[in-house]
Amino acid sequence: MGLFILRRVGVMILTALCLTFIVFFLTNLYPNLEKLAKTQGNMRMTDEQVESWLSERGYLDPLPVKYGRWLGVLPGWTFEDPEDGKITGRCIEPGMEPADVPRFCGILQGDWGESTVFKAEVGEVTANRLALTGKLMFWVMVLMVPSALLIGVLAGMREGSKLDRSLSTFSIASTATPEYVSGVIFITLLASSAGVKWFKGTATSAAENATFENFFLPVLTIALYGMGYIARMTRASMTEVMTAQYIRTARLKGVSFRNIVLKHALRNALIAPFTVIMLQFPWLLNGVVIVETLFNYKGFGWTLVQAAGNNDIELLLACSVAAVFVVLVTQLISDIGYVFLNPRIRIA
Amino acid sequence: MQNQTPSRVHPAAKMHAEEYADGKISRREFLTRATALGVTTAAAYGMIGASPVKAAGHAQAGGTLRHQMEVRGLKEPRVYDWPQIANLMRGNFEYLVEYNNDGSVRGMLVESWDVSDDAKTITLNVRKGVMWDDGSELTAEDVARNIEGWCEKDVEGNSMAGRMATLIDPDTNKAIDGAIEVVDSHTVRLNLPAPDITIIVGMADYPAAIIPANFNADDVMSSMGTGPFKLVELEVGVKARLERKPDHTWWGTEVYGGPYLDAIEYIDYGTDPAAWLAAIEAEEVDVLYESVGEFIDVFDSLDLEKAEVVTGATVVIRTNQLAEMDGATPYADKRVRQAFAMAVNNEVVLELGYGNRGVVAENHHVAPVHPEYAELPAPEYNPEKALELMTEAGYADMEHELISIDDDWRKNSTDAAAAMMRDAGLNIKRTILPGSTFWNDWAKYPFSSTSWNHRPLGVQILALAYRSGEAWNEAAYSNPEFDSLLGDALAVADADARREIMAKLQMIMQEDGVIIQPYWRSLYNHARPGQVGTGIHISYEHHHYKFGFAA
Repeated sequence: MGLFILRRVGVMILTALCLTFIVFFLTNLYPNLEKLAKTQGNMRMTDEQVESWLSERGYLDPLPVKYGRWLGVLPGWTFEDPEDGKITGRCIEPGMEPADVPRFCGILQGDWGESTVFKAEVGEVTANRLALTGKLMFWVMVLMVPSALLIGVLAGMREGSKLDRSLSTFSIASTATPEYVSGVIFITLLASSAGVKWFKGTATSAAENATFENFFLPVLTIALYGMGYIARMTRASMTEVMTAQYIRTARLKGVSFRNIVLKHALRNALIAPFTVIMLQFPWLLNGVVIVETLFNYKGFGWTLVQAAGNNDIELLLACSVAAVFVVLVTQLISDIGYVFLNPRIRIA
Repeated sequence: MQNQTPSRVHPAAKMHAEEYADGKISRREFLTRATALGVTTAAAYGMIGASPVKAAGHAQAGGTLRHQMEVRGLKEPRVYDWPQIANLMRGNFEYLVEYNNDGSVRGMLVESWDVSDDAKTITLNVRKGVMWDDGSELTAEDVARNIEGWCEKDVEGNSMAGRMATLIDPDTNKAIDGAIEVVDSHTVRLNLPAPDITIIVGMADYPAAIIPANFNADDVMSSMGTGPFKLVELEVGVKARLERKPDHTWWGTEVYGGPYLDAIEYIDYGTDPAAWLAAIEAEEVDVLYESVGEFIDVFDSLDLEKAEVVTGATVVIRTNQLAEMDGATPYADKRVRQAFAMAVNNEVVLELGYGNRGVVAENHHVAPVHPEYAELPAPEYNPEKALELMTEAGYADMEHELISIDDDWRKNSTDAAAAMMRDAGLNIKRTILPGSTFWNDWAKYPFSSTSWNHRPLGVQILALAYRSGEAWNEAAYSNPEFDSLLGDALAVADADARREIMAKLQMIMQEDGVIIQPYWRSLYNHARPGQVGTGIHISYEHHHYKFGFAA
């Protein structure tokens, strides 16, 4: 088991390295750097000004060197102003004495760099925003998982019944409606003068003070999308279990239908949905990009949009690392959890 | 109001007062002209026997106002590229003069100013009793240092250099020696090598904030200032909070009144008007930064108060005359440019692109609200001739890519123009770029639309955007005759005399087909009932000391 986890961590680091290098390469293409210079300097800078802005900040050095600096295996760039001799550099923070400046400052040293859009430490920005998305995801899970399992089990109990048909229709409809459609419909119907004003169409204030009123709609929008999918999986798994030999045996023994479902079928039926639920985490990271932008909730997805839109290199890299981490950790949990749920599977 | 009258009244101002009395010019025009000549607002109103409108007459003290606005990262004032950045710091960094919706310019840190009759000497009388946060007084030295800073043309993105161009030595790209003269502790004299009448109004623009001697560009937020508010919280893209400085006596309280509020919060709802709508419907904000496009009608239908101001803000569709496409420079050919202009009916663009919320413009970028505007016949709309000209130039088969930003009104207006060009038989391809990438190359696109903000004088915009070699000359327009006429116009303080030159300049702009300029926009914003002083400003400035809740 220990070796298995270790191997997974190795894979995670390798994946993160590959992904960040790709992101690094793409964000360091010259047009993207030009965009960066203009959003940071002045939107209406001339080409010469862009060039000098970039070279003064080490952006025009060779790609492997820049990547090495970000990793912290190569010394950071420095620039001496030819006019007043003022030295600036990657590792030099305002007010630092030249003697105290470290030579290396990359992620190996725990320095994730500075976000150019948000003018703050990348580590801090990513942590804050991930926490907000975590809050959103938690409530999504709280709403989504129990209702999805309930719908799936109810539908799968008696395949082909009226209850099954109506619940399945609902699941298919909810999972077939993308978030940007359902979100807009909810806002229009439930949070505007055009419909009823039960909720708020924006979740900006939910970041500090989440209430049912301002947080329910984004939660519902994401949850509905995943709910249908998990419910369908649970239903399929449940119907399969319900036709298994041991269920038939239990029925012949005269066990009540209620007990068959709760005591005999449920545990086996939940193995497949468990993996699906774990796989939902990466999907959710994907889904929050749309929903957070739609509801103006300033979490991870919104940060990703801002970072990409402004070519905030170091923030994008941190976002990629965070995404890799979430994907692989949830996969690890799902693999390990599987072993506990299904004794037939063993991890060497 | 202003507690001192200037030492003397400029003769041209007296002349304008007579013109106003004769009904030759409107009150707005009179105010812009007179105040630009150094007459205080109060005195200017006095000269025509009117009294100024007090915006925030009935505000109560206290309260926190929540304002929807993009919250952008700070930088040093002279490289500001968005009024939003200036608004964040405006409560702390004040300006020498203030431009108001009625077209007048009034003194802030500069109490009054005199322009010599040849417009080559400008004397700034710095207000006495203006205190920095550390208790020291604002002096002429501070003002002179700031003006010198504006003149440093080599600083990347310093747009003040364009406004102070007359003061800059082309050899050193810094202020000319002796041009900025500190006469005494509260007087600065500007000795211009050539007459320039735009300097004063240029000082009202949003990058012209006055910063202290110990200003540190890496830590703008905690810098000291002279204003009554301090930025205490800033999370870029999320929110910002300005609070009243606790132990600060603001000079303006006895001069102009205010400030009334305890705090102002700026909350960022992105660039999508639908999000602003959700925000004001959810009562999460009190005031919107700006209401745009069809959302104006939506906001009107809610229980909100609308503010409107007619401006010289506009959208311009221009070709870049140096742009190379397949080895040719099609837009260097005047006939091609004229063809585009002739194919477009500006009235239709106003209707389809901006819902008739403005005034039709005449392809020369001088607005009727500008004092020196010369009325010209409307540009010719003639689709047949457009195609003829294009064919004659030999580019009839060429596909022209017309680029615009992805938003509401600019996209729609550009679409409308493109549709008319296609109707005329020109081969147009439309490309829409997202806001985050559009501005990367805005001045270099071969054929695109650009929004321009209002500026107080017509000559200003021509000098900024159409003079040869200017950084913002997106049309890559270079015409020696235009440049020299513009140089003449910039030397005439009297707007009527200037109008004669302007007529020629405007005619050249039309004739050369430099731009298609369909309309002048009116600007609107909406607020929840009960706000005073928060109506939209003609150049998006937030005068925080006027903001308040109705008593």
